[in-house]
Parts: sequence; C-alpha cells; structure tokens
Amino acid sequence: MMSNLTRAERGTAMLITGIGVLIGLAMAALGHGDALGAHGWIVLIFCAVLFFIVADAFYSAEPVEDRAAAYYDDPTKVGIMISLIWAVIAMGMGVWVAAQLAWPDLRFDAPWSSFGRLRPVHTSGVIFGFGGNALIATSFHVMQRTCRARMPGQISPWFVLLGFNLFCIVAASGYLMGVTQSKEYAEPEWYADIWLVVVWVTYFVLYMRTLAWRNEPHIYVANWYYLAFILVVAILHIVNNLAVPASFAGAKSYSAFSGVQDAMTQWWYGHNAVAFFLTSGFLGMLYYFLPKRAERPIYSYRLSILSFWGIVFFYMWAGSHHLHYTALPHWVQTLGMTFSVMLLVPSWASAGNALMTLNGAWHKVRDDATLRFMMVAAVFYALSTFEGSFMAIRPVNGLSHYTDWTVGHVHAGAMGWVALITFGSIYALVPMLWRRAGMYSPKAVEWHFWLALAGTVIYVFAMWNSGIIQGLMWRSYTEAGSLRYSFVDSLVAMHPYYIARAFGGLLFLIGACIGLWNVAMTVRHAPARNPARDYPTSSETMEPAVPVAE
Amino acid sequence: MFRTILRPFSKLFEFHARSHYRMERHSMALTVGIIIAAGIGGIVEIAPLFTIDETVEAAPDMRLYTPLEQAGRDIYIREGCYACHSQMIRTLRDEVERYGPYSLAVESQYDHPMLWGSKRTGPDLARLGDKYSDDWQVRHLVDPRALVPESVMPHYAALLDTPLETASLPGRLAALRAVGVPYSDEMIAAAAEDAAGQAQPDNVRADGVFERYGDDTAVRYFDGRRDRVTEMDALVAYLQILGKLTDLPQQLTLAEE
Amino acid sequence: MSVKERDPLTGHQTTGHEWDGITELNTRVPRAVWFFIIITHVWALIAWLLLPTWPLVSTYTKGLLGLDQRDEVAQKIAAAQQARADWSDQIAMLPVQEILAEPLLMDRVNSTANQLFGDNCAGCHGQDAAGGPGFPSLVDDAWLWGGDPDIVMETLRVGINSDHPDSRYAEMPAFGRDGMLSRDEIRSIVAYLPTLSGAAAGDVSAGAVLFADNCASCHGEKGEGNMDLGAPDLADDFWIYGGDRDALFKTLWDGRQGWMPAWEGRLSETDLKLITTYLQDLREEDRQ
Ligand code: HEC
Ligand code: HEC
Ligand code: HEC
Ligand code: HEM
Ligand code: HEM
Ligand SMILES: [Ca+2]
Ligand SMILES: [Ca+2]
Ligand SMILES: [Cu+2]
Repeated sequence: MMSNLTRAERGTAMLITGIGVLIGLAMAALGHGDALGAHGWIVLIFCAVLFFIVADAFYSAEPVEDRAAAYYDDPTKVGIMISLIWAVIAMGMGVWVAAQLAWPDLRFDAPWSSFGRLRPVHTSGVIFGFGGNALIATSFHVMQRTCRARMPGQISPWFVLLGFNLFCIVAASGYLMGVTQSKEYAEPEWYADIWLVVVWVTYFVLYMRTLAWRNEPHIYVANWYYLAFILVVAILHIVNNLAVPASFAGAKSYSAFSGVQDAMTQWWYGHNAVAFFLTSGFLGMLYYFLPKRAERPIYSYRLSILSFWGIVFFYMWAGSHHLHYTALPHWVQTLGMTFSVMLLVPSWASAGNALMTLNGAWHKVRDDATLRFMMVAAVFYALSTFEGSFMAIRPVNGLSHYTDWTVGHVHAGAMGWVALITFGSIYALVPMLWRRAGMYSPKAVEWHFWLALAGTVIYVFAMWNSGIIQGLMWRSYTEAGSLRYSFVDSLVAMHPYYIARAFGGLLFLIGACIGLWNVAMTVRHAPARNPARDYPTSSETMEPAVPVAE
Repeated sequence: MFRTILRPFSKLFEFHARSHYRMERHSMALTVGIIIAAGIGGIVEIAPLFTIDETVEAAPDMRLYTPLEQAGRDIYIREGCYACHSQMIRTLRDEVERYGPYSLAVESQYDHPMLWGSKRTGPDLARLGDKYSDDWQVRHLVDPRALVPESVMPHYAALLDTPLETASLPGRLAALRAVGVPYSDEMIAAAAEDAAGQAQPDNVRADGVFERYGDDTAVRYFDGRRDRVTEMDALVAYLQILGKLTDLPQQLTLAEE
Repeated sequence: MSVKERDPLTGHQTTGHEWDGITELNTRVPRAVWFFIIITHVWALIAWLLLPTWPLVSTYTKGLLGLDQRDEVAQKIAAAQQARADWSDQIAMLPVQEILAEPLLMDRVNSTANQLFGDNCAGCHGQDAAGGPGFPSLVDDAWLWGGDPDIVMETLRVGINSDHPDSRYAEMPAFGRDGMLSRDEIRSIVAYLPTLSGAAAGDVSAGAVLFADNCASCHGEKGEGNMDLGAPDLADDFWIYGGDRDALFKTLWDGRQGWMPAWEGRLSETDLKLITTYLQDLREEDRQ
C-alpha cells in the first residue's frame, strides 16, 4: 500500500499524523482529569500508530509506473474491511443491548455497560462505523469508475477514511465514558464535531475534484446521490451541532438551541440523517452495484431525475413528524405530515426503478445471493418508506410514537435496506477490487443472505407486535372510561418480544460474522482473475490496469 | 380527462428533464441545485419558530435550574436516561390522564438541549418532581428491581459513591448564559458553593442557595448522606424539579375546566 | 460516446450514455407515478387548507377548521369526563361504605384503580399494596394514621412529611445520632421491644425504664402507638422498617421520617376517593 505513495507524499502523511500526535498531546494535557484528556490519548495513539506505519516504509521503493493508469483502490479496500469490522462490533452491541432489555442484569457492574451508554455505541457504530465506512469506500470506487478518472490526490482519500474512523472511535469510546450531547445520531461532543467538519470538507473537495477530472460528459445518478449525501450531511451536521463548550479543557458543551427550537433542529437533523446518510448514500450504492451485477440498464433515467429531486426536496420538510402532538406548534406538524406523505412518491419511484431494472434478470436474482441481497434491500426500502409515511400521519403517530413500532420501522430500514444493500454491494465489489474470480465461498454468501433475511424478519415482526401492543395498552380504556393498564402492565407484555428481537438480532449478527470471514478468505485465498477493462480512460495505457503494487 | 389534467405537469417535467440533461454535466450546478432544494424546508420550518411569539408561552414564574440541578441534568444526559425516558407529555387524552397536564414549550425554554426523548422504554418523566420521595429515588436508582420487580431499568448504584465534581460548574453556567439562560454573575461565581449548599441543609452555604434561587428551592440531603455531596444528590435534585419550573401547565388546565 | 441504443428486451431507447458498463433506458415516467403524485399532492393541499400550516412572519395560516391540538385535547378530556359522569358523580357523592355495597360502582372502581394505583402508588406500596421495607402495607390492620376512609383520603390528599402546607407530620427522633441515648441504652431498648408483643426475653428491665421515659410519650405505655401522631404500634407484628435487631437499632439510632407524597393537584378528589375505596375493598378481600 505504501508503495503507491511517493517519498514526498509519505513525508506529507507523516507531517499530518505528526500534527495529529501533537493535537492529541495538547488535548491530553489540557483535558487532564476530564474525558477530553482520555480522548487526547486516543487521538495520540491513533496518529502515532499511523505515523510509525508510514515512517517504517519511508525508505521503501517508490512507485515506478504511471499511477494515473490505474484507479486508486487501496483506500476502498481498507474501507471495506473496516466497515465489516464495525458491523460485527456494532451489531454485537445491538444484540447485547437487546438482550439487556430482556434480561436487565446481563451486564457488568461498571457504569460503562449500562443500557444508556451502550445504546449509542450501537446506533453510531452501525450508522457511522458500518454504514459510513461502506459509503466512503464505495463512493471512492463508484466515483472513479463512473468518472473514468483516478481520484486526484494520494493523501486526501486516506485522510477522509482514517479521519472519519478517528471520529467514530472518539464517538464510541466517548459514549462508554458518558461523553454525549444527547442529540440522537449527533451525540459526539464539540471537538469530535469540529473534527468531522474538517474531514467532511476534505471529502467534499475530493469528490468535486474527481468529478472535475471525469472523462464522461454526464455525471451518473449514483454520483448525484453521493454528492447529496456529502453536501446535506455537512449542512445538517454543522447546524445541529452548534454548541458552546463549558470549557476548552473539558468535553462538556451546551447546545446553542433550547426547547422547541432545539427539538425542531434536532429532528430536522435526525430525520435527514436518515434521508441523506441512510438513504441517499445507499441509493448511490444501489444505482451502481445493482445494474452492474444484474447487467441490465437502469429502468428509467427520467424516473431517476424525478425521485432524486423529490427526495432532496421533500425529505427536508419531514422532520417534524418526530414531534407530533408535542409542544411544537401545530402548523409545523401539519407541514411534516403532508410532506412525509408526498415523499412517498419519490421513495417508491426509486425503489420501483431499482426493481424494474431487474426485469430480464430475475433468473439471476434466483441464483445469485449477491443480487438477491440488493433486490430484497430495494423491497425493504419500499416497505420502510411506506411505513414511514404512514407513521408520519398524525393520528397514526399518536399510537406509534415512543413505542417499539418506531424501533421496528428503524430496523426494517436499517437492517432490511441499509445493511442488506451494503452486504450485497460488498459481495459484488470485493471480487472486482481484489481481482478474484468470485467470493471465496458462494455458499457462505447464501447462508449470510438467509440469516440476514430471517433475522430482519424476526426482529421487525417482534417490534411491530410489541410496538402496537404497547401503543394500544397505553391508550386502552375500560368500559368505565378510565385507562385500563398501568405502565408496568405494558412493560411486562413486552418481555417475550424483547427475547424474540434479541434472537433475530443474533441471527443477523452471525450473518455479518460470516460475511467478514468470507471477505477475509476471499482476499487471501480466492483464485485470481484479471478484470476485462478497469482503468481510467485519461490514461495512455490501453491495457487492463493492474494495481501498481501487484 | 386524466390526460388533460396531467398535461401541464408532464410539460413541466419534460422541461425539467431536458434542462436537467444539461445541468448534470456541471458538478457545480448540481451542488448549487442540491443546496437550494434541500435548504428551503429547514428554513421555512425553523426560522419562524424564533419569530412567531406564541411559539413559546409567557411564564413569568419560570425559574432556572440551580447549579446542583443542572449538574444532575448533565448526569442524566451522561447516563443516557433519555434513551428510555421521554420528558414530553403530548396533547393526547391518555397521556394527560396518565402523566398530567401536557408539556408546554416554555417548560424547556432553558433546556440546552431539550430532552423530549423519542422512546418510552420507561415512563415519561416530565411531571416526575415530588411524585416520589428522595429516598425512593435513591433506592430505585440503586436497585430498580428491588422496588419494581418487573423493571428493566439499569442500576446506577455507583452514583451514591461518586462525589460530585463541582469545580467546573461556574464554567458550565457561564456557557449556558452564553446560549441564553439568564444566570447572573453572582450565580455563576457561586455555582460550586451553591451546588454543595443545596445538598447540605445544615451548612451555611445553604443560605446562598435560598438567596439566589428563591425560598422555594428544595434544600435537602437528597441522597440521605450527610457526610458528602454525591452525584446521586445532583441527579435526585434534578429529578425532583422535573415539571416544577413553572405552574403554567397546571394553571392552563384549571382555566380550561 | 453518446450513441442511443435500443434495449432488445424492452424495446426502450437508452439515453446514449454508458458509465463503466452501466446504461440507462429513457423510459417514460409511468402513468401510475403521476397518478400517485396527484393524489398525494391533492391530499396535502386539502390538509393545508383545513389545518394550521404555513408560517408567516409573526403568525401562521390557521386553516378553515380552526383546529389547534391544545383545544382538541381539552375538548376530548372534557367529553370523557362528561361520559363518566354517570358513575363518577356517584363516587364523589356517596360515602365509601355505600359505594362498597354497590356492585356496579365497585366494578367501575376496580377497573379504574388498576391504572391509578399501578402508576402512582405501586412503586412504593407494591402492586398488591402489601408494602415493602420502608413502605407500609395498605392491606393490613396496622395504621399509622387510621384506616377510616376519611382519614385515608386525608392522608392521600396532604401526604406525610410532604411539601403540602397541611401535610401530616411525623418523625421518629434520631435518638442515637442526635446524642439523646447511648449505644448501650439503645441496645437495651431494642432488647425490650419484642416483649411488647408478648415474646419472652431475659432481663429487660433497663430497656423498659428507658422506653417509658423516652418512647411512651409517642408510642404509648404499652407501645400500642398513637394515631394522632402517626406513631406506629410497636406491639403488633407489622413493621415498616423491619422488626429484627439491626433494623430496630437503625430506626432508633438514625430516626425515621417516611415521606408520602401529597396527591392533591396530581389526582382529582374523585380519584382519591376511588383509590381509598379500592384499598378498603382489597383489605376486606384479604380478610376473607
Ligand atoms: C433500559 C431503559 C432504562 C434506562 C436507561 C433508564 N430507565 Fe428509568 N425506567 C425504566 C423502566 C422500564 C421503568 C419502569 C419500571 C420502574 O419503575 O423501574 C423506569 C422507571 C423510572 C422512574 C420511575 C418513574 C415513575 O413515574 O414511576 C424514574 C424516576 C426513572 N426511571 C429514572 C431514570 C433515570 C434518572 C435514569 C438514568 C440515570 C433512567 N431512569 C434510565 C427504564 C430505564
Ligand atoms: C414515594 C413513595 C410513596 C408513594 C408513591 C406512595 N406512598 Fe403511600 N406512603 C409512603 C410512605 C413512606 C408511607 C408511610 C409514611 C410514614 O412512614 O410515616 C406511606 C403511607 C401511606 C398511607 C398511610 C398508611 C397508614 O398506615 O396510615 C396510605 C393510606 C398510603 N400511603 C396510600 C398511598 C396511595 C393510595 C398511594 C398512591 C396514590 C401512595 N400511598 C403512594 C410512600 C409512598
Ligand atoms: C416524637 C414522637 C416519637 C418518639 C418520642 C418515639 N417515636 Fe418511634 N416513631 C415515631 C413515629 C412518628 C414513627 C413512624 C416514622 C415513620 O414511619 O416515618 C416511629 C417509628 C418507630 C419504629 C418503626 C416502626 C416500624 O414499623 O418499623 C420503631 C421501632 C420505634 N418508632 C420505636 C421507638 C422507640 C423505641 C422509641 C424510644 C426510644 C421511640 N420510638 C420514640 C414517633 C416517635
Ligand atoms: C444485529 C442486529 C441488530 C440488533 C440486535 C439491534 C438492536 C437494537 C436495539 C436493542 C436498539 C434499541 C431499541 C430501544 O431503545 O428500544 C436499537 C436501536 C437502533 N438501531 Fe439497531 N440493531 C441491529 C442492527 C442495526 C443496524 C444494522 C442498524 C443500522 C444500519 C441499526 C440502527 C439502529 C438505530 C438507528 C437505532 C435507534 C432507533 C431509535 O432511536 O428509534 N441497528 N437496535
Ligand atoms: C418516506 C420515507 C420515510 C418516512 C416518511 C419516515 C418516517 C418516520 C417516522 C414517522 C418515524 C417515527 C418518528 C417518531 O414517532 O418518533 C421515523 C423514525 C425513524 N425512521 Fe423513518 N421514515 C422514512 C424512511 C426511513 C428509512 C429508509 C430509514 C432507515 C434507513 C428510516 C429510519 C428511521 C429511524 C432511524 C427512525 C428513528 C428516529 C428516532 O430515533 O426516533 N426511516 N421515520
Ligand atoms: Ca454532536
Ligand atoms: Ca430514538
Ligand atoms: Cu423521520
């Protein structure tokens, strides 16, 4: 990997990681006795390890061939592996957290292992660790291939990928120490937030520069979605995380907003984290890997336009559906409800576009588990967006809000859509990237598929049941016109479903472990193959490119 | 007929598709397009919340969190209680009948950030203040299943043995003032002493708490321990003030009857 | 390389572009999508017309229906109260004994009390009202303040040692901590206490004297308790904090001041009566 970098670039990398070490040191010194200090040490160690990896290879051979003749795939490869490792960690956390709700004493006596601290490790771990790394890695691949241009810059892709992972590590370790802003999906504290802005701006610049270098007149749809993902997440992140630190030597900060304005800002963010992190980016993935794997043209370009702009425009209005019947003024709720329902059209349009693309390839769906992952993901996407729009209708939300129904909806989207499309894309991508004839074990892919599907279905059905029972119990009246159940009655009714959910999650986790194993084995043992044509057209070489390192 | 209704729409879309065909060749055009399309919704929904006066009710009796309560709030956030407990009673009959008057915007006016929550694994806590004794709260936090056998809530026994860190409180109050909570200079300067004083009624420092935060402030041995001020003191003090910053919700309910 | 081709399978034209082997068809947007757009948008338009929706600078459009969530819930609650008036008025008017004799009313009471008691009282007194360490049983015959319905209702209304201005006030002094009695003295009282309920013990005369001097004023000569003071009967088998040596020692050393919340303001008068009746009924059932 290092052999792809010139000595000057290695120097730059050492400079950057060296600065990182100094920043870590400064944090450790300033924040002594505070969680900020502990984070300083983490930053320091992270950067120091990278520094020594680069330093160790500083004098090794420099690249000799024309690097522009090949795509830059090293960051993608690393990103894929990291993403799968996060998947196992974070879904493991999910299973643990689920088990705690069924058996609350299934924990250590230490404060870090309590539900409230582990839960965000799960949510951030899957969304940012697993999803984010998969998005960054696949976006690197997709933008290069669909632009027919190598990423400009040798360091910035690494900076984006590793910088993002530093953010994830700081976030997750922070939760365990009790460092959180409590804003769902934006929990990390102010310094991690600032760091993410730096990483994200670099990401955006890298993306724009690659687009600028492209050898295709038109920008492919997948790139629209990745671009929207990068841009809008930046806007959301910056606004929602505005805060004033209690001290620059401590982790604690206070949100710039309060009360009802804070609630609206938070759910404007929270809902669109769903839209632009968990949907837009993954649609980018879908738009590349699904037609590629199915070897079919996209069903309709016009439908792509309609759904893309529909999603970008309508989603941003829908956040207030998280605040129905609350102290948020009624008028905002009406806006949130109506836009959520209108949003269903572009959502289904993109799911339909994906499924119709499979016309003429259904036999492949039957035989190929990788394509089946993507097909089922599109189905779950359709299902969860329908469910979302339904739950956004005020009276329906009156029942579903605060209950496990929301959790069921989340995981229909997160497991059924986000995780399945990611696994499908990774199975499609890994043989391409490492130039293998196929996955090491197609059988294992098949197993993973059925475990993931079964896990999702069990999870989601358990939560639909428990959520609806919960909601109904809370508002159930006796003939006398008085509430029928106490809160604890409803809690007792949840128990069997919490066990079922933990079981479904366990199946899903086992699938993810198999996936990690299979990818690792593919990289190490699967028979090699040269791809037919895989090089940037800006290059002079008209030969199939082989990475310089090989 | 359907076709006639559709015609203007499909014309418009046709135009859009054609101009799009040109636009998608320019990454900057796409960028600007995305920012505009995505920007509108947030602006229309958030900005007016600052300009429409009736959004946040006027509650002249609205009081601030004392430093001890604010410290407790920070612990509530740190431990992730909001992951299971909401603090927002919705305008629904069953919620009002179960938990009390629906929550008003003004009640979280000084909450940076708000803790309305999105999941009720445990019950809503918006009107928790004075619903139980300090002793109950402490025992419940130390071992929830001792009091409520069916509970799935984690225990927080360690809070009882962790002394409250008060040195950072002036800084925290100052940061809160920077974002709009009207703490006075004096309150900020005395934050650490006031936090200790509120949990030690026999100590002279307790007087300052009454002076600065009013005679109705609860000054007690919240955790039942006289020898030191713990994180449990802070958390229980916070729990006991929930829903009691203003009387407005109760007044509104009475006015309606 | 903008060469338009036809997809052999569907017969649709492609847009003429190709990205890494991916092409796109230029299929028209299906009719169903337009249909779908019209339905959802028309529905939204109707909602915007009828409901509060669009922000203006310092106000917002109120909608033709003039609805607001706060008025709506107030109306619903008022209507619900109206609907239960037929029986809740009777609860409010009739004395508890008469309610107890009225099976129909008791049916209402029992179906209502599960939630009221479960959400408000069970946390301390337990789901079955049998109490627990530090929280008295409400189904036994030992009362601090008296089991008469009126008295119970008053206890509920004002609480014990609560913030309520009329709160009942009761405190067991901290004889040890406050230096009124020595360790040994307390030990001898603790040894004496079981004899109040007739248990045999050795020589407890020292304890007896100390008890008469220090405790009898509240708990009575024979430890029979005093309901005016909320001082419990020490001669029965019911203990709030426990009757073993350690618990008794702690009670005498640190004192006790149970805290029972005041429910006035949180629960309505009728609710309080309902709970009182329910407790009365529970006790009678227990006795059978
Ligand atoms: C795993 C989810 C979970 C977490 C995390 C949690 N709780 Fe709870 N909480 C519950 C459940 C379930 C109940 C209902 C059963 C009971 O009373 O224990 C409850 C009940 C309560 C009650 C009693 C409310 C009432 O009106 O009866 C209080 C007070 C409370 N929790 C405070 C807290 C605080 C403070 C924290 C954080 C330090 C916390 N909880 C964290 C699940 C949780
Ligand atoms: C915070 C815990 C707590 C809650 C909640 C609570 N109680 Fe109590 N209650 C107590 C304690 C403690 C005492 C005894 C006070 C004492 O020891 O002086 C008590 C005493 C009583 C008594 C007086 C018993 C006697 O012997 O005179 C009654 C009656 C009672 N509670 C009923 C209720 C009902 C009904 C509810 C719910 C509406 C309720 N309590 C809720 C803690 C609680
Ligand atoms: C000022 C009046 C007063 C005096 C004097 C007093 N007590 Fe008490 N005692 C109380 C009250 C009131 C309670 C109930 C406290 C509560 O539950 O909150 C109580 C409770 C108790 C209890 C706990 C009963 C249980 O059910 O757990 C014991 C034991 C007891 N007293 C013993 C004594 C002894 C022995 C003495 C003398 C050394 C004494 N008391 C002196 C008022 C008094
Ligand atoms: C192994 C599989 C998984 C298990 C066992 C699992 C379990 C859980 C549990 C127990 C919760 C907390 C629910 C509650 O508070 O009641 C949760 C929340 C959440 N999980 Fe998962 N999860 C899994 C996979 C995933 C995946 C793959 C994603 C995303 C890609 C995801 C995203 C989330 C989100 C966003 C929440 C927060 C939901 C909310 O706040 O409403 N989970 N999960
Ligand atoms: C048309 C699209 C969608 C709409 C209208 C929608 C709507 C909703 C609604 C109404 C809620 C419940 C809010 C509440 O009551 O608290 C919700 C929650 C949620 N949805 Fe969706 N949803 C959509 C698509 C998705 C997708 C595709 C995903 C995941 C990939 C997703 C992830 C989530 C998450 C994580 C939450 C939980 C938020 C929380 O922490 O409370 N949604 N959504
Ligand atoms: Ca943050
Ligand atoms: Ca949530
Ligand atoms: Cu949403």
